[in-house]
Amino acid sequence: MTAATAPRDRDEPSDAALLAGIAAGDHGSFASLVERYQARFFAVARRMLGDGGEAEDAVQTALLRIFRSAADYRDEWRGSTWLYRVLTNVCIDLWRKRPRGRAAVLEPHVQATTPAADRLDVDRALARLAPEARAILLLCYVEELSYGEIAAVRGISVNTVKTQLARAKRAMRRHLSEVNR
Amino acid sequence: MTPRTDDVSLRGLLNPPAPPGFTERTIRAVRERNARGDLALRFDIAASSSGVARLRPGTGQTAADTLRARALAGQAREELAEYLRGLRSFFTVPVDLSAVAPFQRSVLDATATIPFGEVRSYRWIAERIGSAKAVRAVGTALGHNPVSIVVPCHRVLRTDGSLGGYALGLELKTRLLGLERETPALVGTDITRTVCRHGCSDEQRFSERHRVVFSSLREARAAGYRACRRCRPTDA
Repeated sequence: MTAATAPRDRDEPSDAALLAGIAAGDHGSFASLVERYQARFFAVARRMLGDGGEAEDAVQTALLRIFRSAADYRDEWRGSTWLYRVLTNVCIDLWRKRPRGRAAVLEPHVQATTPAADRLDVDRALARLAPEARAILLLCYVEELSYGEIAAVRGISVNTVKTQLARAKRAMRRHLSEVNR
Repeated sequence: MTPRTDDVSLRGLLNPPAPPGFTERTIRAVRERNARGDLALRFDIAASSSGVARLRPGTGQTAADTLRARALAGQAREELAEYLRGLRSFFTVPVDLSAVAPFQRSVLDATATIPFGEVRSYRWIAERIGSAKAVRAVGTALGHNPVSIVVPCHRVLRTDGSLGGYALGLELKTRLLGLERETPALVGTDITRTVCRHGCSDEQRFSERHRVVFSSLREARAAGYRACRRCRPTDA
């Protein structure tokens, strides 16, 4: 079970309540939000941008945006929807701005079929996906968001989510089978 | 609805833990970056009827002979203020480089093609203008850039990634590069499903929560967005 689906203590404030706290200038609310989302945000950012300092930079930039514009949040959406939108916006923008030739996440080659080697294969396959497809795949399989939520996060239709996911999964399978050949 | 989970092993592989000390580091970094505030710079601007000819940090003076020149200086001032607040990723005000010598002109023209938020090397500029050996001369030409920021010589670094020089000081160069990393370049609006260059007046009508960032126009189109007719974004 991932953090996204972990049951939450009843006394814990909702994401929306934390965002309202941040908007009111409460630093404790911000610390709680960081605690709650950091691992999930880092998982997405690392898979979008690789292991270097960029993932951490992306999470910080996203949280800075959330800190500054929490007052802009409206409860027509779930709090997490808006949070993931800010994060994917930052990751996709940073990907666009990377120096050429670093578009692919290159990591040291590991021999044998250990879990570490599997993970590297997955990283390489992921790095070859276009950033939009990669973000959608991660929101679906790492964060376990529903199609409807992913559509709201990325401001696209549910049909586009399904098309992008199907295409991304096909590409991933193709890349992985190339690696294992 | 929970998505289908036919790739259970994939999910396990995709989910690494955050590194140790991440929470404290993140909260500290966000507080520090937030406290930094906007870059408060005033500019001395000289414009002709065909564009901005000189632009330097100063006391806010304007030198412009004609009505049109005054309007262009005003436009430059407004766009600079938006740029420094992270509200704009491009300039529409024209520049007037007619007083600039041909070699420097070609260096500045090549520099103007470096996309917002990206960096290139002095060597890249030299090769681009067909003078691969003139790397040092490129540095000198950029050092005398009369229209800083609008012609983005701060986006030019040494080949090894170190900062190189900057006529307005390396601290400002670092701040500008940081600002451009934080500011998105290509932004869609989920209400109109239109994608704009960040800072377009069509985009600025909508609040932060309606904005969706894309990595390219091609990707935006694949997601069902159309290019704004006002700011006309393109892919390099």
